[in-house]
Amino acid sequence: MRSRIPALVSIAVVAAVISSLPFVLSDYNVSLVTQVGIFFIAVLGLDILTGYTGQISIGHGAFMCIGGYTTAVMSRDHNTNLIVTMLMAFAICFVVGLLVGLPALRLSGAYLALVTFALAVSVPLLPLKWSSFLGGRNGVQTSQTVSNLWVYVVAWTASAILFVLAWLILRGRVGRAFRAVRDSEIAAVASGIELPVYKTLAFGISAAYAGVAGSLFVLANNGFAAPDEFAIFLSLQILIGAAVAGLGSLWGVLVGAAFVGLLPSVSSGVPVIGSAHGQDVVFGAAVILVMLVLPDGVAGLIARLRGMTRA
Amino acid sequence: MATAESSRLESLRNRGAALGGGGGTPIVIVILVGVAIFLLVGSLRSVTFAQLTVQGLALGAVYGSLALALVLVYRATRVVNFAQGELAMLTTYIAYQLIKWGLSYWEAFFATLAIALVLGIVLELALIRPVLHRSVIAAVIVTVGLFVLIDGVVNWIWGGDFKFMPSPFGTKIYHVGGVSIARLYVGMFVVVIISVLLVWALFRFTKLGLGMRAAALRPAEAAFVGVRVEWMLAIGWGLAALLGAVAGLMAEPSQFTLEPTLMQPILVYAFAAAVLGGLDSPAGAVIGGLLIGVSLNLVVQYGHIGPLKITSELQTPAAFAVIVAVLLFKPSGLFGHQEVRRV
Amino acid sequence: MTVNRKKLGALLCALLATAVVVSAAAASHTGTPGVTSKQVTIGGTFPFTGPAALYKTIPVAEQAYYAYVNAHGGVNHRKIKDITLDDQYDPSQTPSKTKELVEKDHVFAVVGSLGTAPILSTWKYLNQKKIPQVLVATGDAYWGNCVHKKCPGAGATTPRPWTMGWQPDYPGEAKVYAKYIRKTKPNAKIGVLYQNDAYGQNYLNGLKTGLGAHKSAIVDAESYNLTDSAQVIAAHELAMEKAGADTFVIFATPQAAIYALIDRGAIGWSPLTIVNNVSANRLFLLSAGQNGASLNGVISTGYTASPTVQANLKGMQFGKQIIAKYAPALNSSWAEGDGNLVYGLAVAWTFVDALKHAGKNPTRASLMKALRNLNESGKNKNPFVYPGMNVKTSKSRTFPMEQLKLEKWEGGKGGDWHSFGPLYTGIH
Repeated sequence: MRSRIPALVSIAVVAAVISSLPFVLSDYNVSLVTQVGIFFIAVLGLDILTGYTGQISIGHGAFMCIGGYTTAVMSRDHNTNLIVTMLMAFAICFVVGLLVGLPALRLSGAYLALVTFALAVSVPLLPLKWSSFLGGRNGVQTSQTVSNLWVYVVAWTASAILFVLAWLILRGRVGRAFRAVRDSEIAAVASGIELPVYKTLAFGISAAYAGVAGSLFVLANNGFAAPDEFAIFLSLQILIGAAVAGLGSLWGVLVGAAFVGLLPSVSSGVPVIGSAHGQDVVFGAAVILVMLVLPDGVAGLIARLRGMTRA
Repeated sequence: MATAESSRLESLRNRGAALGGGGGTPIVIVILVGVAIFLLVGSLRSVTFAQLTVQGLALGAVYGSLALALVLVYRATRVVNFAQGELAMLTTYIAYQLIKWGLSYWEAFFATLAIALVLGIVLELALIRPVLHRSVIAAVIVTVGLFVLIDGVVNWIWGGDFKFMPSPFGTKIYHVGGVSIARLYVGMFVVVIISVLLVWALFRFTKLGLGMRAAALRPAEAAFVGVRVEWMLAIGWGLAALLGAVAGLMAEPSQFTLEPTLMQPILVYAFAAAVLGGLDSPAGAVIGGLLIGVSLNLVVQYGHIGPLKITSELQTPAAFAVIVAVLLFKPSGLFGHQEVRRV
Repeated sequence: MTVNRKKLGALLCALLATAVVVSAAAASHTGTPGVTSKQVTIGGTFPFTGPAALYKTIPVAEQAYYAYVNAHGGVNHRKIKDITLDDQYDPSQTPSKTKELVEKDHVFAVVGSLGTAPILSTWKYLNQKKIPQVLVATGDAYWGNCVHKKCPGAGATTPRPWTMGWQPDYPGEAKVYAKYIRKTKPNAKIGVLYQNDAYGQNYLNGLKTGLGAHKSAIVDAESYNLTDSAQVIAAHELAMEKAGADTFVIFATPQAAIYALIDRGAIGWSPLTIVNNVSANRLFLLSAGQNGASLNGVISTGYTASPTVQANLKGMQFGKQIIAKYAPALNSSWAEGDGNLVYGLAVAWTFVDALKHAGKNPTRASLMKALRNLNESGKNKNPFVYPGMNVKTSKSRTFPMEQLKLEKWEGGKGGDWHSFGPLYTGIH
């Protein structure tokens, strides 16, 4: 059993650093750290699904799309309070996640990956069809404008809240059920766990997290939602972030989110990798390396290091 | 225990049938014949219908080729290769580069097929095999990484703007009874079908092919009789890459330009084709591809679900709907085999 | 346990101290952003990659002109630095790239950004920050119509005075085509292919307005999506053919326009064809021709001089020299008549003209004032625009270019555009 104090210390340190960054960094760089916060939420959500119940999804960009458009459309049409739209995104994506999770019950492994991939490619095309309501290629602009600092504070506050929520869920009965499902579905059923309920629930929660991330994503993009923002690459970024993160470690998720969120802007100044697609080379190479060398991600690395220092 | 035994026997029997390459029930055959008649009659009655059908068959051949690549990989290693499309695109760029360096189109074409074969083998040995021991999902994630990596490499080396490749089939248009058929479309269809038939012949009539089938379906027994299973799986990936290269090389002239996004829309259609045909059925993949190609073309013109007109932005969601429908109602697809899923 | 808490406390104190020191040290920004005594920094977003990458030579030509100006002393002893970023013609990428230009590179003005949807995705941001978003490479009528009044239809709930176009506007161009059709083929049955966004809709509405009472001449209007394949475009044309269209108007971006031209032949349809001028670059038509499109008789409009047909004009020789010296990789492109290059040079010329009139110490406001009082005619004419055309703005005239010339393609696969007919003025 890990002692709780070091965990609290690391959380406190992270919180302190995050809170002080806006005073230290330029406005532009603050917006970069916001991206990390957004991916933190998305990667955390995917971690809950894949890490804890073993169901793969290459489609979380679709949920981000739904969440993002919820915020943009509600703001444009009804001037809804932006925080309220984020709550709506959470709720709507939770329901959509349940709906996706239901048929997903019958699919496993590669099939589920395939279906979620197709979902991720299809959902962002829907605004092109219903363009009068969803803006088409012209996109949807929120009516309220928010500053970089506002998005930063809201993104990291949401990250903190959702992190605590995840911790509460995962240490309780639901979390134990999730882990049982992942480790052995047969044993789980044998011990009376209603598989469909928990597997679908995991999808719902995971999607809800991605929905909130999507809302923030749009707000960070000058409040502008457009279909290409949620192209397949976004889903792949989240998956890569989760693979790098590994399972069950705050630091892992932070590193995974920072890797995915910061690499595009950090690399744009570097020669060779600097071109917009040089970063794709790094992303792709990174996830392959992680799978080959470090399959449990940063979390696994930390666990191993801890194990080494203990011994 | 008794039920477990009999279901194992059932699955073994089905696998045995698979060795013969096929497994479509009579109903499926009847439906397909019906579809063919429908297309023929429609084409005779309407020039537009015929035009769209021809286009659809040509595109469908490309989808089928990529779908067949997916099926080969799946049969060999149970992995859905998300990078199949990008690999196909990469090999097309390699052909482009060879032509720029002075080769003629067809010299570059065959050289590229050889390079694709080697590339597929190397990828399987270097990246997939080490991870496959752990889990299929890990291998799938590696293919996702490959997707992103290859996209980045191509953009990095060749740039993300348009390139122009010489067309292998020229610009001639045939006029058959009022219907304009581009030689390009005929060429696309013929090249893909020839490639598919050659690969089929390889599997059916050669010792290598027998070894590959055995390695995929009964690896333990195959190893016992001296088949080098690991190599067979790698060659399966190599052939898949080769078929992907054919798909890419035929897709490019249909779009008149070469850019890195060439295969991205096609990948989803290939997935739909493979699922529709059955992820473990090679014949199903090709037929699925043709079906998807033709129906997507026709539906954009004639498709209405009540007030909803199926316009082009709904083509990919339609393919997604096909995937979901098949997996929900007949997961083994038209020609595939029921997998006994243990839970 | 206590050791950990002490460490934590110390860490927090250190962080706080750093924060105080750093923020005290950070001087607030004085003076006009992007302007120093030696340099003016501007920037823009362009499609270097992606579906509109056929336009990527425009910013290169612009930078070539700035390099020429810099080599001759610059403007008021300041050299022009132009930072160009790739947004792939994707309005969801433009905001972050524009933010980078404004908040990281601190540009003086955003100049020449390309694309209707990309501009729409950033004009609220730039206008709120009072940053010039000028000489944008798109002819949407909003850039002229929403300067003094609001345009709720385009999401502009307040006027957008900091945004300005340059080229003749799309509705105006479409009206010229309407006039041409009414005059030469009054019983035409028109099929329109237009891009499924604000860009395409702007043209289509202009065509309908131009046809007036005869807008029922449009028998089929088909919208296409940017990523549509050549086969989907062919399917749209089949639909138009089926609806009886004998006139085909293309309001597209280059890739789709090229497909549209090629596909006509592939489906055996030969209507009178009109192509919008931003897709009528000679290079685009040449590549359509190479893929089997029959080009003779295709109609478009022009507003810049031709480096091939008008190679002897002083302006074209000047342009050729600039490209040869400052962007020699584009020499063959120029020789083939790449209109992108002439366009880029012309826009850059206008920017420099405005900068010269923005005062010894230009501010964003003085730049806007100069841009809103352009008078490129007579002795001060822009050497790269079509001879006889002027670039002018005033309080009442918010569209810098209001003239167009019709042109027709002659000479088959290796042919060129040849102007004919009158000069249309006051088009919008």
